[in-house]
Amino acid sequence: MENYSTILALLNLFLPLLSFVILIFFGKKIGNSAHWVALTLIGSSLGIAVSFFANVFVDTGGPILETSVPWFSTGSFSVNLGFLINNEAAIMLLVVALISFLVHFYSVAYMKGDPRYSRYFAYLGIFTFSMNGIVLADNLLMMYIFWELVGLSSYLLIGFWFEKESAADACKKAFLTNRVGDIGMFIGIMILFLSIGTFQINGLIDGVHNGAFAGNMGLLTIAGILVFMGAVGKSAQFPLHIWLPDAMEGPTPVSALIHAATMVAAGVYMLVRIFPILTPGALEFIAVVGGITAIMAAIIAITQNDIKRVLAYSTVSQLGYMIMALGVGAYQAGFFHLTTHAMFKACLFLCSGSVIHAMHHALHELKDHDTDPQDMRNMGGLRDKMPITFWTMLIATLAISGVPFFSGFLSKDAILAGTLSYYHLHHGWTLFLPIAGFGAAVITAFYMFRLIFLTFFGKPANDKVYAHIHESPIQMTFPLILLAGLSFALFFTLPLSVNPIDNHGWFTEAVPMIENAAGLDMHVVEEGIHHAHYTAMGISLMVAAIGIFLAVLFYLLRKVDAAKVAGMANKLKLYNLSFNKFYIDEIYNIIIYKPFLALSWLCSKLDWDIYDQKFIDGWGWLTIKLSDKSGEVDYNWLDQKVVDGFGKITQYFGKTLQSTQNGVVQNYLLGGMLGVLLLIILIQQF
Amino acid sequence: MYQDFLPIIIFIVLAAVLIGVPLGLQHLLSPRKNKGGDKLISYECGELPEGSAWVKFNIRFYVIALVFLIFDVEIVFLFPWAVVFQDLGLLAFIEAFIFVLILLVGYVYVWAKGDLDWVKMNVRYGKGRYANLQSKGETS
Amino acid sequence: MSNLSSLSFYIPELIIIIAILLVIVLDVIPVCKKYTFPLSLGAILLASVFLWQSYGESHGLFMGMISIDPFSHFFKMIFLLSTFSIILISRYEKQLDSNYSAEYNALLLIVLLGMFLMSSSINLIMIYLSIELVSIPSYILAGMLKNDKESNEASLKYVIFGSFASGLMLFGLSILYGITGSTDIGVVTAALQAIEYPLSIYFPLILILVGFGYKISMVPFHFWTPDVYEGAPTPITAFLSVAPKAAGFAILIRVFYTMFTLEGSVSATLPLTNINWPTLIAVASAVTMTLGNLLAVQQEDVKRLLAYSTISHVGFMLMAFAIISPDAVRAIMLYLFIYLFMNLSAFYMAIFASNKLNAHHINDWDGLSRKNPVLCAFMALTLISLTGLPPTAGFVGKFYIFAELFKHQQFYWLAVVAILNSVVSLYYYFKIIKSMYLVDVEGEVNKIEAHPVVNWSIILFSAQNILFFIYWEPLIGFIEKSINLWSG
Repeated sequence: MENYSTILALLNLFLPLLSFVILIFFGKKIGNSAHWVALTLIGSSLGIAVSFFANVFVDTGGPILETSVPWFSTGSFSVNLGFLINNEAAIMLLVVALISFLVHFYSVAYMKGDPRYSRYFAYLGIFTFSMNGIVLADNLLMMYIFWELVGLSSYLLIGFWFEKESAADACKKAFLTNRVGDIGMFIGIMILFLSIGTFQINGLIDGVHNGAFAGNMGLLTIAGILVFMGAVGKSAQFPLHIWLPDAMEGPTPVSALIHAATMVAAGVYMLVRIFPILTPGALEFIAVVGGITAIMAAIIAITQNDIKRVLAYSTVSQLGYMIMALGVGAYQAGFFHLTTHAMFKACLFLCSGSVIHAMHHALHELKDHDTDPQDMRNMGGLRDKMPITFWTMLIATLAISGVPFFSGFLSKDAILAGTLSYYHLHHGWTLFLPIAGFGAAVITAFYMFRLIFLTFFGKPANDKVYAHIHESPIQMTFPLILLAGLSFALFFTLPLSVNPIDNHGWFTEAVPMIENAAGLDMHVVEEGIHHAHYTAMGISLMVAAIGIFLAVLFYLLRKVDAAKVAGMANKLKLYNLSFNKFYIDEIYNIIIYKPFLALSWLCSKLDWDIYDQKFIDGWGWLTIKLSDKSGEVDYNWLDQKVVDGFGKITQYFGKTLQSTQNGVVQNYLLGGMLGVLLLIILIQQF
Repeated sequence: MYQDFLPIIIFIVLAAVLIGVPLGLQHLLSPRKNKGGDKLISYECGELPEGSAWVKFNIRFYVIALVFLIFDVEIVFLFPWAVVFQDLGLLAFIEAFIFVLILLVGYVYVWAKGDLDWVKMNVRYGKGRYANLQSKGETS
Repeated sequence: MSNLSSLSFYIPELIIIIAILLVIVLDVIPVCKKYTFPLSLGAILLASVFLWQSYGESHGLFMGMISIDPFSHFFKMIFLLSTFSIILISRYEKQLDSNYSAEYNALLLIVLLGMFLMSSSINLIMIYLSIELVSIPSYILAGMLKNDKESNEASLKYVIFGSFASGLMLFGLSILYGITGSTDIGVVTAALQAIEYPLSIYFPLILILVGFGYKISMVPFHFWTPDVYEGAPTPITAFLSVAPKAAGFAILIRVFYTMFTLEGSVSATLPLTNINWPTLIAVASAVTMTLGNLLAVQQEDVKRLLAYSTISHVGFMLMAFAIISPDAVRAIMLYLFIYLFMNLSAFYMAIFASNKLNAHHINDWDGLSRKNPVLCAFMALTLISLTGLPPTAGFVGKFYIFAELFKHQQFYWLAVVAILNSVVSLYYYFKIIKSMYLVDVEGEVNKIEAHPVVNWSIILFSAQNILFFIYWEPLIGFIEKSINLWSG
């Protein structure tokens, strides 16, 4: 049974890679049928993920699959490759496979006619492969390898339309920012390895449990924070969130897959995996970073006009939520939110893609190349023309805003309860966390409904454009419907209860609260969450209602003029602050980029003008002079006289011996007889 | 052990003596002059020899001798067999039969290729007076 | 065992005998003459099938005349492969007169039968008989081109030298019979170990070595090799350079390891006391290699050059023969197997060149790479393999032989001589490569295609040079299983 599961896991991992390989090498020949290859392989991978998921409902008392093989070892240091599929991994595997498959399906229509059609699916394939690798990895080194691969895939996909300069810049930015985070992650992994001696996750947990860091908890905290840096980079937390909004230059299905549902969730997933070794100190740091990110991104999202930017910042904010949840110890809540967020955020992105697709086609038919199809101010009143998109997007928005009966409500509620309980336990400045949580909830509801109202309600901004808008084809709307369906709370609470405010269901059974080996008492945390549950629920309902109400006020009923409010806020420069993303990119430019480029200019000057031109070339000149001389000696003396001398000797002997072979048989016989006599004499000597 | 070689020594000495003594005697007793002339003509049963003795022999002598030799050796092998084959049983008869059969194949070959004729009719690349001879079959 | 019960183990040879007889008979019937070619090929295939089936058994047949054992089995496979290939390719050689093709095939089959017997013979009379059975048809085959002066000359020289060597060998065999009282190798072995005077063993040993050495072109019995190889038709040269040499080595190994070693079997390690023939063989090997190479350096004729090079290869193999151990036997057998492919493909290339271009001189090979790049590439590969450079199979063979010397820590000077000889051999092999690739030909260069059989023979045989470099494990395994002489 174990072997069978291992084979299935291997297939799950490698079928997308096979898709990549086939499409990269034969893509030109396959051409427009590339999607069949990709869909088949990803679909099979999905099927395998479903089969693993089915095992979630079967409690075997241990992980579904835990296997590893040695990869290489040098003396005392050995690295394994292995799979560890516990319930969290199985759920995540399903999420990745499902959303990847739906994005593949969606892309058939979205990317139709693109000259690099097959390469797109190839890149999706390698991304799915890398993401599966992160999910399945049972040791941190293997996870790190796939971590980097995911970064690479993201680079390839963001820069898919690399002819656009902004896209080329964006993909570089994404990769480099990720790398900054990965430095910290690698140092953290190495600290853990050097202290405990293994990369295996289970091994690390046991190591910490058995006191590898006893008396040195500070080191474990630092290690935890450093590993968290990887999540900061990958999951776009402050201060490394700068790449995610720019990454919207990629095709929208890519944004849905990578930057909403899966890759950015990898950071959260990684923290979920190593949660037992995070000390309370590290967790506090994590929670604060998460909180800052949540509220900051939410504030920025209010003022954005590009539909994808809004969703991008919304993603950053929601990721902040998840990180914050893990930081306060609400482990189950964080993972729950990851799952639900994947569903509704992917739905939101795909819907926005549908809208953009329709706008693009309409503008194209009107030969209008100046209007931005992604700017919400150019939309309006689309709900009659694109009903399916509208309804699915509305469902997803309700989910993200935390409205009851939808999945987002349950997960967000659990997180907010966690922050409240954290404050109750620790008091003092930790009040910031619930404030950030509830504040972000208000703002989230507000800007999401702003998006809905600006896009689908009101009068169309441009009637000519409006006339050409039509609903997207079934290949695009089917994933929307499916994902919207998965955004209902019912999906997650079956089969235990249909109570909208009770989040118990198969999910909570499958992912119970885990023991923390690094000093956090999870029972206290669980109890706290329980107590704060109803308070949090009440406040979150209130907060969601306020946000929706404000949005309705500003944008549906147009009772209050948004521009005037913005002008007022700008008296304190608040509007500009939000619109310009808190000027973070500009700050980085001044304090990081410019000094670094100056340093690089200085080094290059030293290296080229001084070292290379003078020093190295000097050696070169010397060498040439020496080689001339030695060439002379070698040719005139060694070659002509000595080597040719040997050749001449050989030829001389050859000529002399040739005379023995003169063709006269009698001489041959004589030679034979002499040979016999010689041999007889010789053998007596030996 | 060396006594066994005594007869060999005796024979060697005897051979040397039997050859050396007559030759030496002849050299001492023969006349010094008058060597040569008609006394040196080769003896051909009273006939006078014509031309050089170094003629080119017809190669067919060699072929006939070769074929003769082969079948003569075959008979040589068959003689002892013929004497004892009745005691050896059926197996020996069959073995000899096969032996003769194999040589029979050779015989058929030699016959069919025309090597038993004094003048071989299967001539390829005929030159001179043989250019217009009929060649038998084998033009495949 | 008795004659009748031996027959059931003698089936491959019986098939060949029947094939010989049938070919002769069919030759006589004009209608059936065209069936002789497929018949001979079919007989060889059938014989090899039956041969494979009986691998592993060890018997002494015909009351101690022949032994069927894995050792002879290995060599028989070499003989069958080379004869099959030669018969196949001779059909497409322009020089040979197709009127005589039936006799030609029959003679090749007789040589094949003789070689079978040579690799299996364990009786002094059988040794002589089988060597003669190989030699005499070879004399005829060397002179197959009836109107070519050189061919007739080659045949005549072969006859004279061959009879000389056979005569000496027979003398040696009779001395052996005289001092031991029996013609059976087992009895001879036992008797030899009881003899006190080494001189009485020196004589027969040297004289037998004359006979075998003549077959494998060891110096000082190599004089016939260049003239015969040059005059004979090229397929026959190819055949003579491979198969009878392998047969000679087979019988050399069998006779010397059984009769002239202390243990009297193939796992022997010491020669008979006071008879230090390994050193003699080492000296002979050194001289053979050197002579072969030095003479080849002078050559301008491709066939003659290849002939001399075969002499130097024989010297190389004798180098391993100078060590008495089963590993050395293994090295020789491996080298023979690889040498088969190298040499056959080199000679087939010479056939192609002489057929299509009338190219005998090396200068006639100029610019051949433009006329037929594929075959020239494979020829270059073969030549590199003959030199013994990696990554080719020739290197593997040479490596095993060198390894024997170093493993047994003897004759280091021989290794030095061998390496120097390899260097010299590089010169003349690369002369051909240089001619093919680096010399420009002015004027029109048309592509020249070889006949498909010739083409594919060259390609397939030459490809083995790479194949056996990459993966020779099963071959070595098979050889090691085959080092198993029947005794008792």
